[in-house]
Amino acid sequence: MTAAVRTQGLVKRYGRTLAVAGVDLEIAPGEIFGLVGPNGAGKTTTIRMLATLLPPSAGEAEICGFSVQHQPDSVRRVIGYMPDTFGVYDDMRVWEYLDFFARCYGISAARRRQMVGDLLELVDLADKREDYVQALSRGMQQRLCLAHALVHDPQVLLLDEPASGLDPRARAELRELLRELRALGKTIVISSHILPELEELCTAVAIIDRGRVLAAGPVEQIQARFRQGSVARARVLGDTEAILAARRFLAAQPEVASVEVLPDGRLELALPGDEEASAALLSRAVGDGHRLASFAPAASDLEELFLQITAIDEEAAA
Amino acid sequence: MTAEQLPGPSPSRVPSGVRSFWAGISAVSTKELRGRMRGRRAFVVVTIYLLLLSLFAFGVYQLLQENAAMQSRFAFDGGFEGDFPADRFSGSFVSGPVAAEIGHALFSGIVVVQTLLILVLAPAFTSGAISMEREKQTLELLITTPLSTLGMIVGKLFSALAYLFLLVVASIPLMSIVFAFGGVGPEDLLRAYLLLFAMAFGVGAIGLFMSALVGRTQIATVLSYVIVLGLTIGTFAFHTYLVASTPQPDDGGFVPIEERHQAPEALLWLNPLVADLDLICITAPSGSHFTCSYISLITGRPYFGDSFGPRAAPGGMVCRSDGECFPVDEGFIAEDQGQPDVAVGAVAAEEDLGLGFPRDTFWPRTAGAFLALGVALTLLSTQLIAPSRRLRSRRHRSGRAPADGPTSLPAEVQP
Repeated sequence: MTAAVRTQGLVKRYGRTLAVAGVDLEIAPGEIFGLVGPNGAGKTTTIRMLATLLPPSAGEAEICGFSVQHQPDSVRRVIGYMPDTFGVYDDMRVWEYLDFFARCYGISAARRRQMVGDLLELVDLADKREDYVQALSRGMQQRLCLAHALVHDPQVLLLDEPASGLDPRARAELRELLRELRALGKTIVISSHILPELEELCTAVAIIDRGRVLAAGPVEQIQARFRQGSVARARVLGDTEAILAARRFLAAQPEVASVEVLPDGRLELALPGDEEASAALLSRAVGDGHRLASFAPAASDLEELFLQITAIDEEAAA
Repeated sequence: MTAEQLPGPSPSRVPSGVRSFWAGISAVSTKELRGRMRGRRAFVVVTIYLLLLSLFAFGVYQLLQENAAMQSRFAFDGGFEGDFPADRFSGSFVSGPVAAEIGHALFSGIVVVQTLLILVLAPAFTSGAISMEREKQTLELLITTPLSTLGMIVGKLFSALAYLFLLVVASIPLMSIVFAFGGVGPEDLLRAYLLLFAMAFGVGAIGLFMSALVGRTQIATVLSYVIVLGLTIGTFAFHTYLVASTPQPDDGGFVPIEERHQAPEALLWLNPLVADLDLICITAPSGSHFTCSYISLITGRPYFGDSFGPRAAPGGMVCRSDGECFPVDEGFIAEDQGQPDVAVGAVAAEEDLGLGFPRDTFWPRTAGAFLALGVALTLLSTQLIAPSRRLRSRRHRSGRAPADGPTSLPAEVQP
C-alpha cells in the first residue's frame, strides 16, 4: 500500500534560518497523524509545503503518489487544507462560502447544491446556512473551514492547529468530527502544540523540534521507547502540618524519587516506576492515614513524553 | 452525520488548463459579484450616479444655450463677433449649428466625466483585490484549490470592472441625448465607449498589479492613484516641458507644425485625458476646435480646420464640398505636407479638398496602449501570487523554538 503522505529529507530554508531541517515522514492511509512540537518547531512550514503553498528548499514530498513540487495541481485535488490562521470573506453567506470553493474545484451546479447541504449537516451548521460567515462564532468558523476543505472529497486532510482558539466544548466537537472523517477513510495530518488534544485522537505522532523529527510512530511505541517514569500531583487535606507529614512519608517510600511542595499546597511526586508501583504507593499512603483528596498524573502522557524527548534533545545539543 | 451524507468521490481527472482557467473566472467573479451586488447599495449608487450625470448634462445644456443666446444677440447688434460667426444663428437657438455645439459639449462633458469616474473608481475597485485576500488570510485557501492563478486574477479583474462597466453602460441612454442635437454620430459614441472600456481595463489592471505587488490594501490604493496622477498630470507636464524646451527658430517666420513637434508622442499614449481631447476634437462641429490644435501639436500631423466645409469622414475618407469623397491614408498628408513649403501645400490642400481633422490618429493608440498595459500587468500579477514567488511578501517564520516553548509547561517546582 502506498503511503498517503511521504516526505524524504524535506528542508525549508529562509535565508540562513533552517525552518525545516530534513523531515522524513511516512503516513499510511487512514491514519490520524499528529505533528507535535513547540511554537516555531517547523510544523506549520511542513504542512504548508505539503499543501503546495511553499516550495521546499530541498528534499521530496509526495501525497498519494503525486509530487508536491512537480504535480501541484494533482496534489491540490487530493488534499483538503485548513491553515492555522484563516480569514473569512465579508459579505458572504455560509452556503455561498462552500459553493464558492466547490466552484473552484469545478464541481457541477447540481452536485454543488446537494454537497453543500451534506457538508453543512456534517459540520453541524445546517441551521446557519443563510447566516453571514463573519457572524459565526470562532468554533463555527473553524468547522466551516473544515467543511471547505472537504468540498472535493479529498483523501488527505492537512489541518494546521485546527483546535487553536476553541473552547473545550468546541474542541470536543472537533475531535468527534475528525473521528467521523477517519471513519470515512480519510487520512488526517494534524498539527498542534496542545498535546492532550492529539493524544486521544492520533494513531501516530511525530514529535518535531527545531525543524527535525525527534521521534515518530504510534503513540504507545514512542511511549515505550522513551518512558522514564511520570510525575504525579497529590492534594492532601488538612493543615500545613498534615501536608508536611504526608511529604515526609512519601519521600521515604522506595517508589518516590523526590517530592516537592507546590505553592498551592499540593505535592508533586517524581515516580520512576510504572503504574503498578504508583498504585502500591497510593494504597500505602492511604493506609498510613494521609487524607489524599486527589492523586493524578501531573500532565498528560504525551505532553510529559514530549517534554522528556525535547529535553533529551536539548542535552544532546548542548 | 453519517458516511452516506458525505458526497461521493469527485471526478479526480486532472482538468486542462483551460478548464481550471474558466472555473477560476466563474468561481471568483460569481463570489465577488454576489458580494458587490448584494442589497440595494449597488443599485442606489447607479441611480445617484445617473442623476448627477443628468444634472451635469442639463447644466451644460443651459449654460451653452444662454451663451449662444447672448452671443447671437451681440452678433445681431453688430457689437461683438464672439466665437461663433453671426450667420450661424439664423433660426432657433437649439437647431442647426448651435444645436451641434450643444450636442458636442454634452458629448465632451460626459466623456470626460466618465473618464474621471474610471480614473477614480477603477483603482479603488481593484487595488484591494489581492491584498484584501492576503489581509484576511483567505488567499492561501484559494491557492490550495486547483484554480489557475490566471483564471483567478482575470476573475478578480473582471468582477471589479463589471460594476464600473455597469456605471459606464448605464450612461449610454443619457449619452444618446446628444443624437437629438446632431453633430455627434453613433460611431463617435462607439469610439468613446471603446476608449472608456480600454482605459477601465488598463487602470483596473494597475490597481490589481499594485494589490498583488504590495501586501497592504491602503498602500496599493495610494500607489495606484499616484500612478494614475502620473499618467494624467505627470505625462502632460513632462510632454509640455519637452515641447516648451525645444528651441524655436527665431526668424519669426511660420513654423510648420511637424517641425515644432519634438517631444515623443508615445509619452502621452497612456494619458486618458489627452485621448479624450482627441475624441472631442474629431467630433467638434467646428474643425478648428482648440483640442485639435493640441492633438496635432502632439502627433506632429497638421490639420486644416474648416468650420463650414466638409471634414474627414469615418474610415479614412476625405470629402469635398460637393459631396465627393476620396480615400485618404496617413501617407497622403505626410507626403504632401512633409516638404519645407508646407504652408503653401497646406493652403492648397485645404482649398482643394476642404480637409478636416484626420480621424483616429491618436485615441486608438491610447486604447491599444491601455489594453497592452492591462494584459501585461494581469500576467505579471499572476506571477506575483504564484506560490513560488510569494516568499518576499511573507513574514519569515523562525525555525527556532522561542523561549516560551509549549504553552503548557508544568508549574515551577519549589522546594
